[in-house]
Amino acid sequence: MAESMTFLDHFEIWLRAYLILSLFSFLYKDNRFYKLSEHVFAGLSAGYYVGLIWQTVIVQQLINPMFDEGEWVLIIPGMLGVLMFARLVPKWSWVSRVSLAFVIGNTAGIYLMNALHGLIFKQLYATMGSISNSNGFAGVLLALVVVVGVISTLVYFYFSKEHKGVVGVTAKVGIWFIMIAFGAHFGFTVMGRISLLIGRAEFLFYEWGGSLGQIF
Amino acid sequence: MRNTLPVIIAFLAGIAMVISFFFNPERTVLGTFQENLLQWVTIVGGFTLVLGVFSIVRVNARAVSRRSDGWFYKLATVISVFAMAIPSIMPTSANSAFGKVFYSIFPISWAGAFGTGPDSIYDWLFNYVDSPMMETMFATLAFYIASAAYRAFRARSAEETLLLITACLVMLWRVPIGEALLRSIDVRIPDYINMFVMNGFNLSVQRGIIIGAALGMASMSLRILLGIERTYMGKG
Amino acid sequence: MGFWDKVSNIDRRWIYLMVAVATFFPMIVVMQFPVELTPEAVQLYEAIDNLPDSSVVMLTFDYYPSAMAETRPMSIAALRHMFSKDMKVVTVSNIPLGGPTIAEDVTRSIAKEYGKEYGVDYVNLGYRANYVAVMHGLATSIESIFKADFTGTPLKDLPLMQDVKNYNDIEFIFVVADNATIDYWISIVNAQYNIPVGGGVTAVVAPKMYAFVEAKQLTGLLGGMKGAAEYERLVKISGSATRGMASQSLVHFLIIFFVIIGNVAYFVTRKHEKGQK
Repeated sequence: MAESMTFLDHFEIWLRAYLILSLFSFLYKDNRFYKLSEHVFAGLSAGYYVGLIWQTVIVQQLINPMFDEGEWVLIIPGMLGVLMFARLVPKWSWVSRVSLAFVIGNTAGIYLMNALHGLIFKQLYATMGSISNSNGFAGVLLALVVVVGVISTLVYFYFSKEHKGVVGVTAKVGIWFIMIAFGAHFGFTVMGRISLLIGRAEFLFYEWGGSLGQIF
Repeated sequence: MRNTLPVIIAFLAGIAMVISFFFNPERTVLGTFQENLLQWVTIVGGFTLVLGVFSIVRVNARAVSRRSDGWFYKLATVISVFAMAIPSIMPTSANSAFGKVFYSIFPISWAGAFGTGPDSIYDWLFNYVDSPMMETMFATLAFYIASAAYRAFRARSAEETLLLITACLVMLWRVPIGEALLRSIDVRIPDYINMFVMNGFNLSVQRGIIIGAALGMASMSLRILLGIERTYMGKG
Repeated sequence: MGFWDKVSNIDRRWIYLMVAVATFFPMIVVMQFPVELTPEAVQLYEAIDNLPDSSVVMLTFDYYPSAMAETRPMSIAALRHMFSKDMKVVTVSNIPLGGPTIAEDVTRSIAKEYGKEYGVDYVNLGYRANYVAVMHGLATSIESIFKADFTGTPLKDLPLMQDVKNYNDIEFIFVVADNATIDYWISIVNAQYNIPVGGGVTAVVAPKMYAFVEAKQLTGLLGGMKGAAEYERLVKISGSATRGMASQSLVHFLIIFFVIIGNVAYFVTRKHEKGQK
């Protein structure tokens, strides 16, 4: 931490430390410090959206282009955006469907091509390519693992046909593959959660500890 | 009208993106059209977030006015929303009409405190109050996952045992001491974990899931474009 | 109640306490361990390192504050790498909570260390809603989506943005993300516009990314704090991720210990119960 901290530096560190400890206190048991912090957190996060959307969407994308550059055509998305609020009035809520349909239809159009071109075909090419491009015993073995794994996983998640006979055996192989993959995923998830705790612990130890050291 | 118009709009907005996929947006007339369409979507999309905030304020304010259980905490939520939102929507200069009026009342030296830029109230509240809390909320999951590992992670069947062994191996492989331990047993073990567990078994299953989910995404998108899927419209 | 019954029914708060002790212990006794590199991290490093100096690179801050312990060190290491090679950096965020502010704070502080000037060497575009539309829109014209940067300066007033009009002017996209936005950077931007995309993601997202790395849709991968520590080692800095690896090691061993003890207690008590019946 810095050599000498100002009162504001100390205040900022202690405020953060208080908030962190109040939220961690829930681990012992529910209490009013936790509840208050939790509700403040929810409010501030919601407030963050307002500021962000106001500055980046309403001011930068609507008000400035319309009034400064005369892009009056933007009144159309502006109106569509305002129509979204019709959802709050039950009698007129159907009007918001127009805006929703515009966003969802556009997104669906992007998703459709993105799923086919960017995901399904590319991943299938890579699966087939792993066979033709494999070198050496380990490479062939790996390619085999990949092909068998992809097919058996797809079969396992295919519920339109009963898992009996060949389908059943393939699905069973799929379970084994999925268990290994989920095990790896669990290992990674544990790692991720611990990392977040380390981030908080580092703050408390180095920054709050530094402030404590200077004060006492 | 209530159902047909949204379906037509969804179809047109979507099919435009499908068609523009096949043409270079920079060199065709579709480019300008696509550019406008995407710009509009980002604007309308922004309003949906504000709508969410509106609902949060409405629900909490109602609870406060009725003095229902925990109203004090709900009041804290409402105050927090305004504490963050109001300074952020204030003008940061006297250039606009609103800015001129605002800074004829308040000193212009206050301008830095408003808006969303560095050193604003918004930035300060985010960095010193909101962000530490959000980080902590997720950090508490470390304790729960440790407790779950102790209580629920059981080797009751062959499949569960496989999952458990893989998880432990990956946990060892991803940290320096664990990797050193694995290397001390056989120097090739960490490489084998990366090669066969991550780039073999894990990769193939993830790929199967990616392909399966993408098939679902494509079919759902098609259903929306064709007006078969209408649940996004809600009731009424 | 026997010993293993007690072990089985231990108060969860003792487990929490042990986790906390294992996290803080390496900080108290100052432990640090060398981080081994994985091929995926080296691939990402080399992809950026092999770009010509002064290339324009896009760095995304697609993460919430909740994931900062894992992703912030990646952003810092990436910025140090890029600025040390005099690259021009355009940052963007597709996350409505925190991303643009984190980008602003992190980029400005690192740029200051390297004497970089805002608007000339780096620009923070900020956030726009609906990320799939944003990703597509940037292909035609960045200015159509971002008329101004995060703080409201019009793009036409920023010298760097006079040379960066769309993806054609960007050499590489380094996506730092804690969620599905990276899937779309890969499946839209890389697949449709052929821009190389590299990924630095949280540990939770990382396993899925191996499928994209092998398919050459993703150029290199950093997974979680370990990935960040690898990148720190590659750019020869000792950051918070490298420091955190000691605590990470200890807690992983503790959790493996919990799994073993939990299972032993479960099987011993179950055997005992069966014996009583």
